[in-house]
Amino acid sequence: MTSFDTLNSAWMVWDTPAPASRGAILEYTKDLEIFLAEIERRAFRMAQMALRDPDDALDVVQDAMIKLTRNYASKPSAEWRPLFYRILENGIRDLQRRRSVRKRFMSWLPGAKEDPEGEAQDPLDNVADAAPAIPESLMQAEAIERLEVSLRALPARQRQAFSLRNFEGMDVAQTAQAMGCSEGSVKTHYSRAVHALREQLGEAW
Amino acid sequence: MSEQLNSHLEERSRALFNGSVESMDFALPWLFRATTWAPAAGVTAAAVLGVAFWFGSPTGHPGAALADNQSNFEDMELVASTDDNSADAMEMLQDDIDFYDFADKAAG
Repeated sequence: MTSFDTLNSAWMVWDTPAPASRGAILEYTKDLEIFLAEIERRAFRMAQMALRDPDDALDVVQDAMIKLTRNYASKPSAEWRPLFYRILENGIRDLQRRRSVRKRFMSWLPGAKEDPEGEAQDPLDNVADAAPAIPESLMQAEAIERLEVSLRALPARQRQAFSLRNFEGMDVAQTAQAMGCSEGSVKTHYSRAVHALREQLGEAW
Repeated sequence: MSEQLNSHLEERSRALFNGSVESMDFALPWLFRATTWAPAAGVTAAAVLGVAFWFGSPTGHPGAALADNQSNFEDMELVASTDDNSADAMEMLQDDIDFYDFADKAAG
């Protein structure tokens, strides 16, 4: 009977198709943990920029991590990054679709208010921070806020291309793999995203 | 000129994004741990269920076990509670071990 050092290693065997050996499983489990630890904050930030809501962003990131671990842990580590961002982006899109359906459904209900941005404003967002604001950080906060709003206004594919290429530093081939499209499409989406952002943000950027 | 502006936009947005990631005041260490703890939780739940079924089976009913333990305890208490002759009682128990052994073999 096979024995394992940890429950985790045993579980990896149950959930992954035909792993090479016990040593290999332990190795890629360790590598996967390191990989996820490296990208979790950036992935969360990207999801938060797309979804606005931090709780939803956490859910989507966690789901993506679980799916990557369960389905693709045995893949070569070089493929994890584009795979992870593809799963993450699918999760973001699913959530946005659900929100859209919910919004349509809610608009049929009597007494439902129009929400031009499609998202309810949290009243706490408007509460002033008690700590004195440092001008530099205030400018940074304002700039990132403007960037987030502009990114959310982009079509999903353009936002995705821009985020992966510019924030994550992926090359065209990796971005194409993550987006599930051709390299030519990536270039087109990226170029359009940059132009759209330039128009929205102005030349001061 | 346009290329330069675009390049500046790309650089600035990247710097802002990196800055906002670095300034996040909380870590997310539990995210992946949740995935690694899931199977452990499953195994633990199975173990708890197994124990529950074991004690819940007719052969190992907790009530019966409790009654047996209580009976043994009462026997010991009777032997030990003969205040005046407690030493004798223990000695008697020691002497009779051979008898009990014989009786056990005869019955078995």
